[in-house]
Parts: sequence; structure tokens; C-alpha cells
Amino acid sequence: MRTALRDLLRHPLRSALAVLGIAVSAAMLLDMVMLSGGIDRSFASLLLARGYQVRVSPRGTLPFDSEATLGGLADVLRRLRADPDVAAAGPVLGTAVFGRGAADSAVVLFGYGVEPGAQGMYELERGADLAPDDSLGVLLSAPSAVRLGAGVGDTVVLAARLDPQVASASVERRLVVRGEVRWVYDYRDQPSVGTLLPVMQALAGEGARDAASAILVRVRDGADLAAATARLRAAVPEAEVRNVDDLVAVFRQRLVYFRQVATILGAVSLIVTVLLVGTLLTITVNERLGEIATLRAIGIGTGRIVRGVVAEGALLTAAGGALGLALGLATARYLDAILTSFPGLPAAFSFFVARPDALLTAALVLAVTGTLAGAWPAWLAARAPIAATLRAEAT
Amino acid sequence: MTAVLECRDVTRRYDTPGGTVHALRGVSLTIARGEYVAIVGPSGSGKSTLLTLMGGLDRPSSGEVLVDGTPLAALRDRDLTRLRLRRLGFVFQRFHLLPVLTARENVELPMAEAGVPAAERRARADELLAYVGLAARAGHRATQLSGGEMQRVAVARALANRPALLLADEPTGELDAATGRGIMELFARLNADGTTIVVVTHDERLAAEARREIHMLDGRIEREAAGQGRA
Repeated sequence: MRTALRDLLRHPLRSALAVLGIAVSAAMLLDMVMLSGGIDRSFASLLLARGYQVRVSPRGTLPFDSEATLGGLADVLRRLRADPDVAAAGPVLGTAVFGRGAADSAVVLFGYGVEPGAQGMYELERGADLAPDDSLGVLLSAPSAVRLGAGVGDTVVLAARLDPQVASASVERRLVVRGEVRWVYDYRDQPSVGTLLPVMQALAGEGARDAASAILVRVRDGADLAAATARLRAAVPEAEVRNVDDLVAVFRQRLVYFRQVATILGAVSLIVTVLLVGTLLTITVNERLGEIATLRAIGIGTGRIVRGVVAEGALLTAAGGALGLALGLATARYLDAILTSFPGLPAAFSFFVARPDALLTAALVLAVTGTLAGAWPAWLAARAPIAATLRAEAT
Repeated sequence: MTAVLECRDVTRRYDTPGGTVHALRGVSLTIARGEYVAIVGPSGSGKSTLLTLMGGLDRPSSGEVLVDGTPLAALRDRDLTRLRLRRLGFVFQRFHLLPVLTARENVELPMAEAGVPAAERRARADELLAYVGLAARAGHRATQLSGGEMQRVAVARALANRPALLLADEPTGELDAATGRGIMELFARLNADGTTIVVVTHDERLAAEARREIHMLDGRIEREAAGQGRA
């Protein structure tokens, strides 16, 4: 290995350029490996962020995928909660509302109606949570707090919709900010507010009475999730009941092209690595045919010569891979920031997930690729006819 | 004296687009232990081809080459490599040292391949480098040595595994007269110390150092003569 390193250092610029090329390929490979498996895992992890494994939504829809609502909510909740494996079932109503705070100018907000005792939608960051009967309280996200110019303890006004005849809201609620929360499924800078479900139902209008956009269900620990999901599906046939695995499968189907692109780009990066390492080592071996023939003449076995060439490929790949790892992680972070800023995507979602198994997979694939790339030049080196090569060298 | 090497009616043909080239046309000779033989002749006379066949670097079209009584044709490639490693030493016109290794490491290389323990091969390498007059240059990389020094290291490398026969192809071909003279003296000293040497050369002075001169022409041994280096 030491000799292989010295051989590479005979042409430092050439070797450095090869390492850089491999690093770029390795970075792309790593990013594609992170991307292909990362989306699923990130989505599953997002769905399970608050421990709720099942989503109930209006028939034919995914949760929060449309404005459709699930009617007869009280009855649906009763049937869901009757299942012995259901630990909690929390309805959520999402609707657009207007808000006025200190600035006294109306801003468009996204309103969540929740049951604080069974909610899988937010995490409290400061202040206090809503009490189960706190119909005068409201929770803000950081972006909505900024837009309303309000903080914990301030009063804000939420209005359902503006009446075009009189330019005033048909329903208004004056609410006190109890706390600031992070809504798990909000996209970046989404101005969201949350109230008790009945408050938001009132703001959403008559059509939202006894309705919710979705219900999040938490199955008790140790229960058979698939069996519980099947029972819930039977209990509420008028709704879509999907557990996390079902939702990930649907999501995966939607992103099949994304995964195909990742696979193709990953394969391209591997081919580039093979070509880079193979070309460099072939040039190196061709330059050293005389030297290699001499080694074989003095009795050095082909095994040692082949190992030397393969070691050079392995060293190049290792150096390029290490550099590529850092480059790939930095690139993934940058690309993730761009992709997750797209509207409608939860800010907590990641396209590129750095997992040990992804890093290991990329490293192993790269190591095998680099070794294979050195195989052809190594074979060339081992098979060159000694006498003819020495004769050619002498002329 | 026992024969270290025998060539029995050896021929070597090359098929080329321009027709068959007969590089050797039935060469027979015997090299006895302790001899110092120079093979001379004009370019294209077959002397280098003969050397490659003697060293098992190529296989004859017909005839037989035996080293220490072992017919090379019977050996598989791996066994031939082992024989070259343990029984033969090679010195080439262009030295072909590994430039990334030091003089000592170059000399150690065949010993490492032969499985000699590290301490032993280091001691032997230093001993050989001292023998060729390069003890002070042991730690220098090959690229830091002059042509004459590189050839001395190549000789030391060739002697590393105590070969029965040292084969040298134009060992002074790349050296100036004074440096070449030093290599000639080294070869004479090696032979005097018991090493069997076959050297292919255009250099008449080097040939004259040998005890026996074999003159080749058109792939045949034209004549043999005693060299000035005879005892």
C-alpha cells in the first residue's frame, strides 16, 4: 500500500485531479443513495413525529390533501375510540382564516382546530398549551406571531371570512395568545394558528359543524398496527383509514420518478468513477510496462503486481470517497434547503437523510467500483509478455 | 564442472506481417558453474533473444533450455517465475529500478517476494549495496542516483536471492565509458567470487573481461573464443 501511495505521488497533479473527479462522483452517489431512501424515511418519521400511526380522512383523499371534510365527526370519533387498541384519536380541522393583531391589518392565516388532549399536530415552544375547555385561547406559530405582531398574553382577532357586501367578517373571535408552538406539518414560514376544534369549526362556517379535515389515531404500544388499522377501516367505512406504512406506500408511488432519477444518476456516478479510475490506472500501467516486465523478469509474481495496481485504485477511491463524503453531505444540505422551501412541503421534511446505512452503502459500492475499475489495468499489467515488452522498451 | 544452463538445438521464430523471422536457428551451448560468458554479435544476430530464452522470459519455438537440469518448457508460468526469483538474476540495459523505492528497498524486493524475513533481507541488502560500493546511498531513492549507481543497485538486486546464474543484457549500454568500466570491474569481481555470469553486449571491452566469448551471427553461434578474463 505504501508503494502504491508513492506510485500515485509520482504524478501528484494527475492523481489529485483523479481524486477530485472521484470525489464529485462519490458526492453524487452519496446524495442519490440518501435521496432514494431518505424521502421514505423522512416521510415516515414525520408522520410518526407525535406518535400517531393512523390517519383517517375523507373518502378518496389523503390527509390535508384537499379541502374536503369528514362529517358526522362525533359518531366517527365514538366508533374509533371504541376500539380497544386505540389509545387516542384527535380530530383536526384545517381552514383559512383572517387574523388581526397589534398592527390591526388583516392577514391570511392557516387555522387548525384541535383537541389539545389528543393532538398530533404541534409541539409547544413557549407559553402554555390550550386547556381542554379554553375557548378563548389561541396558539400561534412563529411566522404567524410575526405577521400578527403578537406574543404570548396578547389578544388577536380571528375572522372566518369577509362578507363581500359589508366588507366585514361574518364571524369573529377575540382570543388570547396562550403559547407559541411548532406545527409539525407546516411548510416553511407558514403562518398558522390553533384553537379548540369547536372554535375553528365556528370560524369555518356552517359546513364545518361536527366536521374535521382528518383524525389522527394513536394505537396503543404493542398492538398489531395492521390488524388495528383493518378493524378501524371496518368501523368507519365512509372514511379512508391508513396507517403510516400505507401512507408511505402511497407517497412512494407518487415519487416513483424521483427514485428512478436518483437511481439513474447514482449509476452514472458509478460509471464515471469506473472510467476515471480505470483510465488513470490504464495510463499509469502503460507508462510502466517496462518496469512491470522487469519486475516479472526478476521473479516478482503477478499477484504482487496486480495487488499493487489494485491498491492504487483503492487508494484513489478511498481518498476521493472521503472527500466526496464531505462534499456529498454539504451538497445534500444545500439541495435540501432548496427543495424543502417549495410551497406545500412540510419544513420538517427532508429529501436527503444522512443515515449510517446510506453512508455505508455508498462507501461499499464505491470501494467495489474502485477495485473493479483497477482490475482491467491490473490484468493488462499481469499479462504483458515479458520478453516482447523488454525488447520494445530497449528500442 | 556441472552445467548451470544448457541450450539444446534452440530455435525461435516470430510470425510477423512481413513473414516469419528466424531469430535463433538451432543454438546449443552449455554454461558451466563459475563461468563468465559474453555473448557478442551484431544487432539482429539473436543474442538478446537467446538471453531471454535462457532466463525463461520467453519460450523457444523448438529445442530445450535447462537450468540446473530442469527443462524450462515443463514449468508452468508460476513455477517459471519462482525459478527466476530463486535461481536466476537479471541485469538490464535500462536498470528498471522502481523509482519510488530507495536503493535498499529495490534490493529487498526479490527477497520480500521470496519470503525472507524483514531483518534478514535488510541486512543482506546492506551487505550487497556495500559490495557494489553503494553503502552510503542505501537510503536514496532510485531517481536520486546516477546511471552507474542505478546499474550497481540493479546488480545488487539481481544477486539478492543468491542466484545460480546472473544474466545481463547490455549492462553498460546506457553508461559512459568510465562508469561502464566500473560495472565491468564489478562483474569481474562477482565472477571471481563465484557467480556464474552470462552477459550479452556490444561492448568489446566488457566482452573481453569474460573467460569465454560466444560470437553470434544470423541466429547461430558463429564461433567461440576464450576471453581475456580467463584464469
